[in-house]
Amino acid sequence: MPHRDTVWFVAMLNVQELSKNYGDFVAVDRISFSAGKGQVFGLLGPNGAGKSTTINCIAGLLKPTSGHASVAGHDIVSDGKAARRNLGVVPQELALYEDLPAVENLRYWGKAYGITSAALEKRVTEVLEYIGLSDRAKDLPKEFSGGMKRRLNFGCGIVHKPPVILLDEPTVGVDPQSRARLFEMVEAERDAGACVLYTTHYMEEAERLCDSLAIIDHGKLIAQGSVNELRAKLGARDVLQLSGHFPVEPTKQAISALIERGNADLEFLAQEEDSITLTLSHASQHLPAIFEAVAGTGGSVSETSLRSPNLETLFLLLTGKELRE
Amino acid sequence: MSFALTSFRKDIARWRQDFVATLIWVAIPLMIGGLITTLMGQDVKPHGTLLLVDEDQTFLSELIVGAYSAGELGELISVEETSSRDGLERVNDGEASGLLIIPEGFAEAFLESTPVTLTLRTNPSQTILPGIIQNVTEILLDAGFYAHQLFSDEIEVLTSMTDNPSDAQVAAIAVAINNKMENVAPKLFPPVIEIEIVEPPPAEPSPPLVLLFFPGIIMMAVVFASNGLASDFWRERQLGTLRRLVFSPARLAEFLMGKALAAALIIAVVGGFTMVLGFLYHGIGWSHLVSSLLWIAVSGVALFAWFAALQMLFSSQKTASVISSMLVFPLLMAGGSFFPLAVLPGWIAAIGRASPNGFMADRLTTEITAAGAWSIDLNSWLLVIAGAIVGLAVCVWRLRTGFARA
Repeated sequence: MPHRDTVWFVAMLNVQELSKNYGDFVAVDRISFSAGKGQVFGLLGPNGAGKSTTINCIAGLLKPTSGHASVAGHDIVSDGKAARRNLGVVPQELALYEDLPAVENLRYWGKAYGITSAALEKRVTEVLEYIGLSDRAKDLPKEFSGGMKRRLNFGCGIVHKPPVILLDEPTVGVDPQSRARLFEMVEAERDAGACVLYTTHYMEEAERLCDSLAIIDHGKLIAQGSVNELRAKLGARDVLQLSGHFPVEPTKQAISALIERGNADLEFLAQEEDSITLTLSHASQHLPAIFEAVAGTGGSVSETSLRSPNLETLFLLLTGKELRE
Repeated sequence: MSFALTSFRKDIARWRQDFVATLIWVAIPLMIGGLITTLMGQDVKPHGTLLLVDEDQTFLSELIVGAYSAGELGELISVEETSSRDGLERVNDGEASGLLIIPEGFAEAFLESTPVTLTLRTNPSQTILPGIIQNVTEILLDAGFYAHQLFSDEIEVLTSMTDNPSDAQVAAIAVAINNKMENVAPKLFPPVIEIEIVEPPPAEPSPPLVLLFFPGIIMMAVVFASNGLASDFWRERQLGTLRRLVFSPARLAEFLMGKALAAALIIAVVGGFTMVLGFLYHGIGWSHLVSSLLWIAVSGVALFAWFAALQMLFSSQKTASVISSMLVFPLLMAGGSFFPLAVLPGWIAAIGRASPNGFMADRLTTEITAAGAWSIDLNSWLLVIAGAIVGLAVCVWRLRTGFARA
């Protein structure tokens, strides 16, 4: 049965304590989340975090070591066929017959999902229009640009109008124009009532598209909530980056000593040989004290960057590393 | 089952885009078959020329010339009279198989039992025809010796006669020779053993050698096509379409069934093209065409299934392709595509018939050389169908146990 958090929330995709081990290596470690109808749920994490493994478990490509997942109420293991029938998967790598016309690709995948011939032709025409390939319907994908192939790849995943769509990093290697078109298509599917699970390591994509998301690293969910909820975890802090010539450790100690006297919630996010990144509430007010602290170590600041925090900042705060590492 | 048809249509549509592969599958066997037919197709007997220098110009020397031109020997050897000098030059130039010089006085020496030398020069660049000429010459000389022994009295009378014997003298000698022949005939041809001649049932004429190559050539096209089609599983895996299929509710068994049906049709077309050409060339009855086509289609699916199963066992496409291709050549060798099984020594032919394509080629030979169509026995059909089913089952197992998911 679908998990119900509230009276109005129907979980179309429900993942509970899902784990996937390869011998001693834990690729996915007891993750749980759920996503509802008309919702884009983001799975944000660096490469190798376990996003694709999670998707592959949900899609039936991998058997979970433990835990459960259901799609539209159908357990992916015990009722796999029904679960897959309700699922549309847009894999990270292209999965197209390059030697089969675009329209034939769509027909083939539509039939793989059991669409009857009468409904199929109408739906194929719709999808071709939708992905902007109506005029290239009879052309072979091997003659298409990368962006066009991506759109066709997307079309093949949704040709059967699935209530749940899994998008595994669909914009990798896509030009900006095609990326924007893909965003529009994802939003359109969401608006049409689909539940979308969207994995990415692009923070800006997650911020733009996702109603709620989970941050995953080393197979574990380290934070989960709506974009605003996650941002709130950072409080009203700003992100300040100082670059220049200064001894890093003494400078950090000097800044800490000065700021703590002002009762600000200071946290150092990252450091390099000639730069320090930190979060601090009302950072602009503390800038004079910070410059004073740097000067006190005999160093100097050549560049200062002050910005609002984003999900990348949160990831940095939670994991100590950048999202794209 | 409807997805099997979808899968079938998809593969046929893709195959139509890959004209080059089909061309290769057809062209290589056709090329080899064409070469074999050109080399062996004309049923020509060897024919040579014996140059003869008859310096004696007598009745006996003409008898020798006549002996070379008579009967079946005459079909092998043309006798051409020439001069010594011209004859030597032509033999040295390789224009003739041999040169026989009958010296002047040969007949006289023969009748008087004095030594005489016949000179035979043979062409060293040839082996068979000069050998035949030498053997025939020796037989003629032996025959002359025995005739001399048997009719020595008559020969003596003949030699003592004047140049123009009277009819009475000739008749007397003829009667004497006839009497001697009647006397010696029971000794020369004694019916010592009574032989009852039992006529064996009329054997079917053995098919011409070039026709025996034909099934092997067809099977070569089938092996190439089935091996090529089997590699499509790896291609689908690279394209990502196998993974996408696993995401869908479609059954892998139906997907495979569609692929096998497509393989059957493609193999029937590829093999059928070669087959029709062969039927036209060899004048094989068209009533055999449907059964032969069905046989190669079913055989092709079995080979396709086993090639696919084999290729799916390896961890990389390159390894699978190399191993599979390495297997093709020995299979073709053993299976009679280069040497018909019917002309190989028994034990080699037995090994060949035990190879999958050799077994299939052997049954195809039966079909196209039999008087009536549908001559392949039921057990053979069942064996090949069972082979195809087992091969396809192995393919399904591999698809389900990770090949499609990688």
